[in-house]
Amino acid sequence: MRRLGVAFVLVWSLLPLYWALNISFQTNAQITSRPAHYVPSDPTLNNYRALLVGDGDLPAQIRQSAANIVIECGLATVVTVVLATLAAYAFARMRFRGRTLLLYSVLATMALPAYATLIPLYRLMSEAGLVNTYTAIVLVYVSGFLPVATWIMHNYMEALPVAIEEAAQVDGASRMQVLTRVVLPLAGPGIVSTTIITFLFAWGQFLFPLVLSSDISTQPLTVVITALQGRREVPYGLLSAAGVLAVTVPAVIAMTLNRYIVNGLLAGSVK
Amino acid sequence: MAQTHDTRPSSDRRPAPGKPAPSAAVRRRGPDLLPYALVAPLAVFIVGLAIVPAIYALTQAFFRVQVLDPPTRFNGVDNFTALADNAALVKSMVNTAAYVGIGVTLSTVIGIAMAMAVQRKFAGRSLVIAAMILPWALPGVVEGIVWLGIWDANVGLFNSALTTVGLVDQYQVFLGANRWLTILLIEIVQVWQIAPLSALLVLASLQNIPGELYEAAALDGCTAWSRFRRITLPLVRPGVAVAMVQALILTLNIFDQPYVLNGAAETGASLTMQTYFISFQNLDFGQGYALSLVITVATLVASFAVVKLVYRRVEY
Repeated sequence: MRRLGVAFVLVWSLLPLYWALNISFQTNAQITSRPAHYVPSDPTLNNYRALLVGDGDLPAQIRQSAANIVIECGLATVVTVVLATLAAYAFARMRFRGRTLLLYSVLATMALPAYATLIPLYRLMSEAGLVNTYTAIVLVYVSGFLPVATWIMHNYMEALPVAIEEAAQVDGASRMQVLTRVVLPLAGPGIVSTTIITFLFAWGQFLFPLVLSSDISTQPLTVVITALQGRREVPYGLLSAAGVLAVTVPAVIAMTLNRYIVNGLLAGSVK
Repeated sequence: MAQTHDTRPSSDRRPAPGKPAPSAAVRRRGPDLLPYALVAPLAVFIVGLAIVPAIYALTQAFFRVQVLDPPTRFNGVDNFTALADNAALVKSMVNTAAYVGIGVTLSTVIGIAMAMAVQRKFAGRSLVIAAMILPWALPGVVEGIVWLGIWDANVGLFNSALTTVGLVDQYQVFLGANRWLTILLIEIVQVWQIAPLSALLVLASLQNIPGELYEAAALDGCTAWSRFRRITLPLVRPGVAVAMVQALILTLNIFDQPYVLNGAAETGASLTMQTYFISFQNLDFGQGYALSLVITVATLVASFAVVKLVYRRVEY
């Protein structure tokens, strides 16, 4: 029974990815043969070459959008995690007016469907002349991920023992010193979890950047690859290779750092 | 973590659960500005880029807002009646209901199954869990492209496998041909993405169940099925409730998978896709706001209903 269950988990989770990988190493003739080649009979890197190498339109677009997605996700993640950590420290360790109201607002915005603010945010960015800039995309990502990031960090920090912080204060440390020297090192795993989860959320975005970027100067890889798929003449091997490229970064993160993802997701949702 | 231990008894200084810790601030005179400085950026983002836009969208739903054809003016419930008269939209509403029904059911069942498969320790368990959460971590649109390789009419693995074992004699068109089959296949792709989170939430509840309960049941001669029915299912309710709510929110707002796998075709278009078409292709923002409002209200009401129905406090 257990073996059957584990076999199901592995086949269900990995088979579609194996298939994309398999197809990405085949020529168009091999892909369209019936029945399909279940393993690449004569592996070729031509699809990847066509996507990445040379100065044609396609490789230039792929390279630019890969740079865009790294910049946008990186910036959004750094800003989100820094702001979430500061706010979470205040929520977990200080009393102040409006604390409960603000904490409830964080929870309320988490309950709001992501696309509820799609149109107003687009119009706001458009009024501000920010459409097709990194700024617009990063601002929207931060506003979208900050509530859940704050919530995860808050739950981590609440679980840390207070005594050691009090000891540091008795020894004359200021509250910011307590934060940077005592709390941050202890909250390290929580910060790693929050960073990874925020980065993966950002990497997975499609509709917001589709609306907020009008050309290749800011479009992330997800938008460019989906546009590629919309063009019917694009061969499936090329598309699969593009898909493999877009999942490589999040897949490596998920496989190597999954412990932090599991802990962070549980800290963020069951409370 | 050894370094966090304090040798002095600290229970008397620890705050009551749920209350913030006492800090130097309490003892000081005058207003303490540090907490406000720490939460100010968060407050600015939440108010400026979430709450105010949401309220603005709420009011604009009752206005005629057409960028190419001004002016903007109040038009009562006209946007909503226009939506109700839009046949394609009504079809998308039914499609979305089907996505939600299939998605919440499948992701819950598969989530419970996967959680039970990795519940106890075995060699390689952490690798299996890593593989299990992998689909959660990937972009939805790219997952659509990956699954196109399974469902495609010309190159799909599903067609190849079916013909190899002789279930069909030639390749079939699966996506876009039959509406309900199209919806089922698209929703399977979304379930692939969201079931890992359901599994983790159920797993967390499973690991709280005391092992003695199962031992006692085994002594009393309970079958595996009755142990599952009478112990596991009732005690994982909180985890299942949270899992169902997250599945509900995600399926009700499905966009990436039908957009990639079936394009704008009515056989699979969802409500969120219609919001996008109405707002950004027809540029009728008023109706877009109205539709967003409908989806948001539906999401909140349905989430509340699931919590009411499924969630019960569990005491061991």
